Amino acid sequence: MLYLELLFQGIVQGSIYALIALGLTLVYGLLRILHVAHAALFTLGGYLGVIITNATGSLALATVISMVVVGFVGMAVYKLAYEPLLSKPPFIALIASIALFIASEEIFRIIFGPYGLSYTTPPLQGYFVLFDGFFLKHGEALVIVLSVVMLAALGWFSTKTRLGVSWRATVTDPDMASAFGINTQNVRYMNFFIGSALAAAAGVLVALLNNLVEPSMGSVASYKALAIIVLGGLGSIRGTLIAAMAIGIIESFGTIYIGHLLDRDALAFAFLIVVLMLRPQGLLGAK
Amino acid sequence: MTLRTTLLAATIGLGSMVSPGFAENIKIGFNVPLTGFAAADGKSALGGAELAVEQINGAGGINGDMLELIVYDDQASPKESVPIAQKLIERDDVVAGVSGSYSGATRAAAGIFQEAGIPYISAFAIHPDITRAGDYVFRTSFVGEVQGRAGAKLVGESLGLKKAVIVTLQNDFGKSLASGFKEVAGDYGIQVIGEYEYSIKDRQFGPIVSKIRADNPDVIYATGYFFTAGPLVNQLRAAGITTTVIGQEGYDSQNYINIAGAAAEGTIITTSLDRDSSATETQDFIAAFEKRSGHKSDMVAASAHTAIKVLAAALQSSGAMGGEALRDAISATDLTASTGRITFNQLGEVQKSVQVQIVKDGEWRHHSVIDDTALLAPPTE
Repeated sequence: MLYLELLFQGIVQGSIYALIALGLTLVYGLLRILHVAHAALFTLGGYLGVIITNATGSLALATVISMVVVGFVGMAVYKLAYEPLLSKPPFIALIASIALFIASEEIFRIIFGPYGLSYTTPPLQGYFVLFDGFFLKHGEALVIVLSVVMLAALGWFSTKTRLGVSWRATVTDPDMASAFGINTQNVRYMNFFIGSALAAAAGVLVALLNNLVEPSMGSVASYKALAIIVLGGLGSIRGTLIAAMAIGIIESFGTIYIGHLLDRDALAFAFLIVVLMLRPQGLLGAK
Repeated sequence: MTLRTTLLAATIGLGSMVSPGFAENIKIGFNVPLTGFAAADGKSALGGAELAVEQINGAGGINGDMLELIVYDDQASPKESVPIAQKLIERDDVVAGVSGSYSGATRAAAGIFQEAGIPYISAFAIHPDITRAGDYVFRTSFVGEVQGRAGAKLVGESLGLKKAVIVTLQNDFGKSLASGFKEVAGDYGIQVIGEYEYSIKDRQFGPIVSKIRADNPDVIYATGYFFTAGPLVNQLRAAGITTTVIGQEGYDSQNYINIAGAAAEGTIITTSLDRDSSATETQDFIAAFEKRSGHKSDMVAASAHTAIKVLAAALQSSGAMGGEALRDAISATDLTASTGRITFNQLGEVQKSVQVQIVKDGEWRHHSVIDDTALLAPPTE
C-alpha cells in the first residue's frame, strides 16, 4: 500500500511538473528560446490564486482569473522581452529571461512582502480513504483531475481545431506555415498565452498543497522544468509529459529510500545525467 | 560618489546640530538577510535590532553617545557576509558586529571579526563552529545540538512519547538539531523508527507524509523553518495524521501559524522566547515590537534585540571602549533580556534555559521550561 501511495505522490508531483514544463517546451519548440522567466509566471499564478480566493472565497474563480491574467502577462513578456531579440542569437534572449526571473523575485517581495501569503481559510483540506486505507487528499485529487482535463483539452485543441492545426504547423516549419498564410505572430502570442496559463494553474495548485506562496517559489520550478524538457527531448510535448512523470515518481521514492544520500533535486539531475549519457537527444527527442 | 559625499556631509551637519560638542555615534555593524530566501527572518531580526537601538538611544545612549546600526544585506550567504564584514571593519570602523543572519553567513564573517580583534555576536545562528572562531565571538542563542537535546528531553520525559520519526532539514540548522536529539534520545527511552531528510527548497512532503502514516509513530521531531514546517504540518493534518509534532525555534513565528492554519494547533517547540513570561524585559519587548512593526514578535526579533542589549550593556561597562575591553565586558555579561537571563561560558556560548511553547487558539503560548543545566551545557571548546 505504501508503494502505491508513493507512486501516487509521484504522479501528483509529476502532474505539477508537467503543467509547468509544457509552457517551456512550447516556447522552445516555437522560438528556440529557453524561457527561464516562465517560473516567474508560475509564481505570479500562485499569488493571484491566493489573493483572489481570499477576496472572493472561490478557488474555481481564482484559478480561472489567474490563468487568464497570467496568460496575458506571458504574451506581454514575449512582446516586450523576446520579440525585440528574435534576430539576435538565442543566448541573448536567455540572458534577458534570467534577468527577468531574478528581478521578478524581488518585485514579488517588494509588492507582497517577504513573509509569503497563505489562504485565510484553506480550501479542500480533507481526504478520501479509498480501498484498504489508501489516503487521497482532496487537493492532490484536484491536481490530477485538473491536469488531465487541461492536457486533454490542449490535445483536442491542437489536433481538432483550425487554430490548433495552424499552431502545430508553425512549430514544425515556421516558413512553410507562413507561406500557407498562417499568421505566425498570432501563433506566437497564443503559444505564450497557453503556456503561461498552464503555469498559472500549476501555481494555484502548488499554493493549495502548501498553503503558501512566497517570492522564491519559482526557483525550483525554474531549473527543474529545464531539466524536464531536456530529459524529454527539447520541444517534444509527449517527451515532456513522460519526463515530468518520471522525475515526479523517482523523486517520490527517492525521498524516502535514498533521501539521506541524495536530496530531491540531486535525484532528478542524477537521472537526467544517466539518460543523457544513453540518449543524448532526450527520451523522445529527434536526433 | 558626489551624492554620497553630500549625504555624508548632511548627516554630519545634522548630527552636530542635534548633539553639540564632539559626541560621536558608536557604530555597530549588523549583517542580515533582507533579500533572498531568508528575507522574512531578516526583516524581523532587523526590526528587533532597530527597536533595541531606539530604546537604548531613547534612554540616553551609552554615556550620552548614540548607537548607530550600520546594516548590510547578506542574503544569508557567506559570499556576501565576508565582504560585508571587511567593509564594516575597514570602512565603517564599527566597534562591534552583530549577526542577524543564518549559520553559513555568520560563520564566514566570524573569522574576519576575530582576526581584526572586534567583538562579534551571533544573535540566532546555531552552528557550533561560529564561536570557535575565537575569543571575540559570542552567541546569545542556543547551539543546535543543545536545543536538540532539550527536544529529546521534552519528547521522552515531559511528554512520555517513545516512538519517534525524525524529519530533518538538510542544512546545518536541521542537522545539528537532529544530531543533538539523537545523541540523547536513548537516555529518555526514545526509539527512532524512521528518519527522512528534505532540502530547504522543498515545500511538498507528500511522499514523507505517506511514509510517516505507514510508520505510525507517537511523535514527529521535524526540524525546519516556518516556511518549510508550515506546509509540512499542513500536509500531515490534511492527510489525517494527528501525531504530535515537535519543532524548534525555526517554527517560532506567527507566520508558521498562518501557513499551517488550523493544523498548527498543538504543535510544540523548543525556543528562546516565552510569550507568557512574567519578566518585564520580555513583556516590554513583545509590546514594543508589536507596536513598532504591526505584527507579532518572534524568536529572531527577540534574539536580535537581546544581542544588541548585551552589546550595549557591555559598551556601558567598558566606557564605550572597543577591542579587548569590550570583549572582556561581553564575557562578563549577566543581563536579563527579552530571551531570558544571559551569561556566557568560556567559549562565548550563552547559558540559559530552553522555553517550550505550544500553539493554542492560533497563538504561541507557554508550555513549560527545560532547565537542566547539565543537559543544556553548551560546548566549552
